[in-house]
Amino acid sequence: MSTATSPVRDSVSKVNDELAVGADLNFQRRWWVFERCVWVLFFLIVIADLLGCFGRGYFSHAEIKGPDGVTDIKYERIERFSTPSILTVNVGPSAVHQGQIKLWASGSLVKPLGNQRVIPEPLSSVLENGGILYTFSASARPSSVEFALEPATFGVFPLTLQVPGTEPVNLQIYVMP
Amino acid sequence: MVRIVGRRPGKQMTPFEFVLIFFIGGLTLTSMVNNDRSFSNALVQIVTVACLHFLIAAVKVRSVWFTLLIDGTPVVLLEKKQWMSENMLEMRIADDDVMAAARDKGLLSLDQIGYAVLERNGEISVIPLEEAS
Repeated sequence: MSTATSPVRDSVSKVNDELAVGADLNFQRRWWVFERCVWVLFFLIVIADLLGCFGRGYFSHAEIKGPDGVTDIKYERIERFSTPSILTVNVGPSAVHQGQIKLWASGSLVKPLGNQRVIPEPLSSVLENGGILYTFSASARPSSVEFALEPATFGVFPLTLQVPGTEPVNLQIYVMP
Repeated sequence: MVRIVGRRPGKQMTPFEFVLIFFIGGLTLTSMVNNDRSFSNALVQIVTVACLHFLIAAVKVRSVWFTLLIDGTPVVLLEKKQWMSENMLEMRIADDDVMAAARDKGLLSLDQIGYAVLERNGEISVIPLEEAS
């Protein structure tokens, strides 16, 4: 059984009319311009990453104090999808009542921001006003509570933390894909 | 799977096809290391890459412009004792790289080279001066 055939056409462009290379220098020059633009973009991405624009750097670390000075929150302004981080809430002695601290967190702490565990272990956690009210055992000294986050999705998520009876603290957390 | 994907991955490999081979290898690992350790997950990923390769290879055969975009074009580096300086600089190729390819051909010095061409697969082809008219 014979196979289909077609005549050879000398279609490959030549250098000096002798070497069939098929080079397209016009295309190559345009490609070099494009390449330079892409290299600039690559360097900008590296610089942005070193500065923390994609999380875990200078621009991503943030600290916010509550309006009445009861809470001081250290967190990552820019998180990464499915990457662990710690959100620390420092609570002043005025928040301690009868050896306990209560801290309310909005629902976004659990679902999009993926709270994995709370340190120390709360005495109780109760669903309340669309969020969770944690109760911790505490002495009169300043205390801190850590939330181990591991975002389960990406986007921009508001988070509110509040010691009942004080002003709420509103955060905005960006989760990179 | 590699046999099905085609014969081109081999000696004629372009950078694009290099990536393809490593990509298939990497995806094979997903059935062992990722959260979704299922065989079906790895299989579907590999088959998807194979299908994309088939489609890209099929378009490349039919479109010169697409081939230029995916694989680039050969670039002449040396032409009858003249360095193509712009091409060398832009492709980040040193004269030592050309001489290394020339030695591979059994040539002793740069002035024995007729043409040196950076091929689409990243290799430097050297044509001796005596073969060039």
